[in-house]
Order: sequence, then C-alpha cells, then structure tokens
Amino acid sequence: MEQDPRRHEVARSFRRRYRQELQAYGFLWPALLILGVLMVYPLLQVMRMSFYEVTLQKETWVGLDNYAQLLRTSLFWRVLWQTILFTAGSVSLHLVIGLGLALLLHAKINIRFRNLMRGMLIIPWLLAPTVAGMIWVLMLAPFGVANGLLISLGVLDLSVTFNWLGNPDTSLLSVTAMNVWRAFPFFMVMLLAGLQAIPDELYEAADIDGTTPLAKFWYITLPGLRGVIATVVLLDSIWTFRAFDPVYVMTGGGPMNSSEVLATAIYFDAFQKFKFGYASAEAMVMFLILFVVSAVYVRRAVRDIG
Amino acid sequence: MRARRRAAHVAIYATLVAATIIMLFPVAWMLTVSVRPNVEVMKIPPDWIPAIFTVEAYSKVLRSSRYLKTFVNTYFVALAVTLVSLGIGAMAAYALARFRFRGQRAVLIFLITTQMFPLVLLCIPYFQVVVTLGLYDTLTSLIIVYVTFTLPFCILMLRSYFAQIPKDMEEAAMVDGCSRVGAILRTLLPLSYPALIGAGLYTFLLAWNEFLFAVVLIEAWDKRVLTTAIYSLLAEFVTDWNTMMAFSVLASAPLVIAFIFLQRYMVRGMTAGAITS
Repeated sequence: MEQDPRRHEVARSFRRRYRQELQAYGFLWPALLILGVLMVYPLLQVMRMSFYEVTLQKETWVGLDNYAQLLRTSLFWRVLWQTILFTAGSVSLHLVIGLGLALLLHAKINIRFRNLMRGMLIIPWLLAPTVAGMIWVLMLAPFGVANGLLISLGVLDLSVTFNWLGNPDTSLLSVTAMNVWRAFPFFMVMLLAGLQAIPDELYEAADIDGTTPLAKFWYITLPGLRGVIATVVLLDSIWTFRAFDPVYVMTGGGPMNSSEVLATAIYFDAFQKFKFGYASAEAMVMFLILFVVSAVYVRRAVRDIG
Repeated sequence: MRARRRAAHVAIYATLVAATIIMLFPVAWMLTVSVRPNVEVMKIPPDWIPAIFTVEAYSKVLRSSRYLKTFVNTYFVALAVTLVSLGIGAMAAYALARFRFRGQRAVLIFLITTQMFPLVLLCIPYFQVVVTLGLYDTLTSLIIVYVTFTLPFCILMLRSYFAQIPKDMEEAAMVDGCSRVGAILRTLLPLSYPALIGAGLYTFLLAWNEFLFAVVLIEAWDKRVLTTAIYSLLAEFVTDWNTMMAFSVLASAPLVIAFIFLQRYMVRGMTAGAITS
C-alpha cells in the first residue's frame, strides 16, 4: 500500500487528541467516580425499588402497583398542589422583593452605605433553614410577636390569640412566608449583579432623549435583566420544589397534611411508615417533574457555558 | 429639579433603611429572646424589649458537653467537606477549563443536572447503603453524602474562573521545568484564590446548614450536628425558647462573622454559579 501523507497527518492528530483525553480524564476521574457512585447508582436503585414492595426483610415485585396506588391517592394530588402553591408563592415574592431591593441598592447612593445595607440584607440567607424556621415558629406561636403586633394594632383581641401554624388555613401560608424571608437575598444579590452589568451608556442615551424613569425601567432595565431573571427563577423553582427543611421543622406537614409538600411526604412514607417502594415511586414522580424543569435550565446553562 | 432629585435621594435611603429593619427583625428577635428569662418569653402580649437581661440561656448551652460536641462535629464535617470538594473540584475544573476532549459537553450537562436532583430521593438508597456498610451514626457518612451536592457546584464555579486565567503563565512555568501539577500549584491556584475562597465559603455554608441527611443518617446524640440538635430541642423541650434561641445565635455566629470579613468573595460565589457570561 502506498504511503498517504495525509493519513500520517490524521494518525498524528488522532494521537494528539487522544492525549488530551487521557490528560483530561486523569484530572476528572475522582469527581466522576464520586458522583457516579453517589448519584447515578442511587437513582437506578430508587427506580428499581419503585417497582417493588419493600419491607426491611424482603422485596416483592409488584410492577406498576406503587404508581397506580399513588395516582389513585387523593392525598398525593393535594400534596402536589400544595408543593406547587408553596413554590409559586415563594418564587414570585422572592422576585418582587429581590428586584425591588436590588433596584434600591443600584440607585446612586453612597458605596459604603450600599455595601453595608447589602451585607445586612444577606444575613437571613446565611441562617440554616432549621434556625430560620425555628425563629418563625417562635414568632408565630400563640404568644408570639406576630399576634403581639396584631394586638397592638387592634386587629386581634387579647383573649383570642391566633395559632398560625396550628390552623390548617394558615399553616402553608406561614411556612411560605418564612421561606420568602429566608431566601430573598439570593435574588437580591443576583439581580444587583445583573443590574450592574447593564451598560450605563444605554441610560445616558435615554436621558438625552428625555425618557421617563418608567420607560427606562421597561425598555432598558427589564430586557437587560431577562437572562438573570430567567436563571434565578428556574433555579429557585427547582430548589423550592424540592425543599424539605422549612416544612419539616415548622409544621411537620400538619395539621392534617395542610402544609405537606412532596419532599416531606416522601420522607414520612419512607422513614415513618417504612413504605420504601411507595416512597420510591413518589420520589420518581418528583424526579420526573424536576427533570422537565431542569431540562430548560440545563439547556440555557450549557448554551451560556458554550 | 434639584430639590426633587434630593427628595428622591432621601426617599431611597429611607426605604432601604426601613426595609433592612423589617427584614432583620426576626434576627433581632432571636437575639432579644436569647437574653430573656424563659418566663418572659411566654408573656402575652410580648415585651418588645427584654425586661430582665440574663445570659442564663447561653451558659446553659455552653456548659452542656452534649451541645458543645455538636459544634465540634459540625466544624469537623463542614471543614472536611470543604477541603475534599475544593481539592477534587479544582482538579476536575482544571480538566474542563484547559482541555478540549470528547465527552466534555456530556460531563458539563451531567454536573449541571446533578444540582437539580431532588435530594430526598437520594435519602432512601443512602440510608440502606449506609446501614449495610455499618456507617449509620458516623460523621464519615455525612461527609461522603454532602460532597455529592457540593462538588458539582465547586467544579462549575472554579471552571469558569480558571477559564478566565490565561494559559501562558502555566506554560511559562512548564517551559522553566515545572511539571504540569507543579505549574498548577505555583501559578493557577495562587491566582484563583478569590474563586477558591468563594467556592469554599459557599460549600462550608451548605455543609454547616444541611439538615435532611443529618436527620436520616444520624441518631446518636454524640454524633449529631447543629441543625439536628436544634431541631431536637424544638421537638423535645418545646418550652425552652431562650435556650433554643441562644443555641441558634451561637450556631449562626460563625457564618455571619466569616461573611462580614469575606463578603466580597461570598457574593462572587453566589453570583458565579448562575451568571456565566
């Protein structure tokens, strides 16, 4: 066979590429090994268990029974709906409060004052959800400051104290309020960074044209923030949808499941009722819902990373 | 015109101060309850300012060896998780930032996807595996489990920082006779200290505040971490509010103090995860 110089070239570049891979995976393997063993294996395990009836002693194949039972249970649908309410309420208020504060911090104010205020406003986000939840349990207790405030405003009577967390009508609302308070700083910080990335020239040009502040907000600020807003809303939706700590700490899902969300329901089914198979099916449904939302986020993130 | 602008200016300052006071009220409430005697906590309507000042609750927490042990445990777990995540994370981030290789895109997608995982799903298999391996009630199990959700974040954040640092520095060091690893240790890592601090702090925060796995994998009191210890106070001693708040203050203080000094890096860490352009 005659020697093809191009072929030699191809072989060499092939070897060069192969070397890149060897080097890259030489650095990557510990991370991939850990994540593979600790993420992929458990996922497959849960997927498998969702088709079994699992007790501590034995596993029995039941096919799709767990799923069928799940979809027939009205409590599951109620919990799913409550999770959606909790997520939608938290995320939308995070956005409103976070954007409002970011705009205030972005105004032309003293830089040291801005940094001080930003720093203080981040503090709720540093607290563990457990700690934050406990502070709110205390504040919302019948003897707590929430009632105290309402009494001094004359809304509540001294004799009828309201039990915010013990009432099925207000339990989910109370947990949502705590979650709004704890996590708004994430939005504030992200949106402030987004605002700082909008070029000043756009506003200067608008000033020359005599644009009103509202028009500037609508035509410059919001379009400039679109990418950041989409990112934080998606991330926060995913994080809130899977949240466990706020509900578990504040109400344990009660009273009468009125504040139950998917994460706590799965936990109780698995670790209190020991229905591991049923809980696995529930977890798979949650995973699939998150997967759809995540796919949107992952597509955006991968496009940004390039 | 000037007067109007001045008024707007004052309004901005006033609104910010008012918003900060409202948002920090729960934190302030935690502080004031922690220095009250417990009988005063239950008063209806509550006193806005404590009538009697006492550090009884703090001394109760600090004198209890059981509670102090949870601080030691939490520091140990959070520090170990941070070191492991940064070490392994920096290696992986280097590979993703410096090489072009087959599977790169798949690795990136995998890393981003793992951050979206419902963690409660992992609880069930983790519990079984940890029990089978005899790791139930050990801090080792917590460290291993926490790394799974801090590692992807560390890799992605360090990757975006490494990618901004020109290759020339390492190449120059390699020409001067350094090995690749030597070049990384001598040029890239010192240059990336803001990202390392930012990612490290955020990892520490996540590990320090984690609750779900600590509930599932730890039962014994001498292995509990702060979050689970605080929760047991709530569940077991329902009325001991001043102790619970003092404990909460002590548990939050390290993070708040670290944040005051390292705010710049921390904010960077928060934003780097999501703003990539």
